[in-house]
Amino acid sequence: MKKFLCMVIALFCLVSAGQTVRAAAREWELDKAHSNFYFRISHIYSKVDGKFNDFSGEIQFDPANLAESRFVFEIKTDSVNTDIAKRDKHLQSTDFFDTEHFPLMTFVSTKITDAGNNVYEVAGQFTVKGVAYDLTLPLTLAGIKDHPAVKGKEVIGFNGDLTIDRLAYHIGTGKFYQMGLVGKDVEILVTLEALSDKK
Amino acid sequence: MAKVVASSTRSKSIKLTYYRVLIGAVLLLVISAALSIPFVYESQTIWYKVGNDKIMLRSGQMAGLLAAVLLLVQILLAARGKWLQQLFGVAGLMRWHRINGIIIGLLAIMHMLLVLIPEGVTNLPIGLKYWPEMVGMVLLCIVAVLVISAQWRQQLRISYRRWRLLHRFLGYLAVVLMALHVLSVCDSFEQSVPRVALLFSVVGVMLAVFGSKVLSMPPGE
Repeated sequence: MKKFLCMVIALFCLVSAGQTVRAAAREWELDKAHSNFYFRISHIYSKVDGKFNDFSGEIQFDPANLAESRFVFEIKTDSVNTDIAKRDKHLQSTDFFDTEHFPLMTFVSTKITDAGNNVYEVAGQFTVKGVAYDLTLPLTLAGIKDHPAVKGKEVIGFNGDLTIDRLAYHIGTGKFYQMGLVGKDVEILVTLEALSDKK
Repeated sequence: MAKVVASSTRSKSIKLTYYRVLIGAVLLLVISAALSIPFVYESQTIWYKVGNDKIMLRSGQMAGLLAAVLLLVQILLAARGKWLQQLFGVAGLMRWHRINGIIIGLLAIMHMLLVLIPEGVTNLPIGLKYWPEMVGMVLLCIVAVLVISAQWRQQLRISYRRWRLLHRFLGYLAVVLMALHVLSVCDSFEQSVPRVALLFSVVGVMLAVFGSKVLSMPPGE
C-alpha cells in the first residue's frame, strides 16, 4: 500500500512538473535597423509607399514550439513616413491616424499555426485607433542561421504581406476614397530580422 | 515771374501726385498678383481640404503672401530712399512704416492660425522634419519682437541706438527667413513663375535699398 502511494505521488509530481516546466519558446531581439513595417496605397493611379519609423517588438519563436511562440508589435503612429513631411502631417491628423488621441497601433498574437512551406499564420489582435480587430498575419520564415556579422548570435528572418481595407479599420472616413484620390486597400509588408544568443 | 513760379509749383505737384498714384497702382498690382498665387498655382495641400478647412487654408496662404509683400515694402520704407522721401516726406514714410509693421504682425498671426487650424491645433508641425514650418515660427517671433520693441521701446527701456541696431538686423533677417520659408514650405513656389517672381522681388528690394544707401552717401565717402 505504502509502495503504491509513493508511486501515485511520484506520478503526480511528474505530470505537474511536465505542465509547469513547459519550455518557453526562444526569445529573439528585434533588429530594428533591419526590420520594417511598410505600406503601399494607391493615389488616383499611382502607388505611394510609406513606412513607420518608430516601433518596437517582442518575438518568442520556436518552430518546434508554436504553442509558446508569440509576436508582439507596437507601432508609433506619428512616425509615419512617406518622404513628404506635409503628407505625413496630414496622415497624423484626424483625417487618418489621429495620432494625438491614438499614438499607438499594436498587434499581439494569440495563436500561431504552421501553414507549411515555412509559412506561419500568426493570428492576433490588431488594435488601431483604440479598437481591437482580429487579424491574421502570414509570416514566411526566411531562415535561422549564424549572424554573419555578430559572433555568438543567430539571426532569424520573417517576411509577410497582406492587404487590408483601411476603411474597415476606420483609418479615414472614406471622403478621400469617394473623391477618387486615396485608395482604401493598403498593401502591408512586414519584414523582420531578430537576433538571439546562439544555443 | 510769379505766374511762372506758380505754374512750375503746380506742375511739380501734379508730377508728385502722378508718381504717388503710379506707386499705389504698382503696389496694388503686386499685391493682386501675390494674392492670386493660391488660386493660379494651387498647392497640393488644398486638394485634401474641403469646406471650411479649404477656405481657411487658402485664406491663410493669402494672408501670408500679403504679409510677405508688405514686408518687402517695409524694407523700402525703412530705407527711406531719396525718391520716396520727395514723394511722401520722411514723416509720411515713417508713419506708413509703423502702420505697415502692425499690419504685417497681424497678418502673420492670421496666417499661422488659418494654416494650422485645418490640420488640427494639436497636430502641430514641430521637429526637424518640419523645418520650413519651424522657420515660419521663428519668423513670426522675429516679427513680434520687431513690432513690440518698436511700439513699446521706451517702456522696455531699450536705448534708441541699441533698438535701431537690433531693429535693422532683425528686419533684414526677417526678409531672408521669409524668402526661405515661402520657397520651402509651399509647393506653389516650386512652379517657376512664383519662384522667380519672389526671388526677383527680394533681390530687387535689396538692390534698391543698397542703391539708395550708396546714393545718399556724401561725395568722397
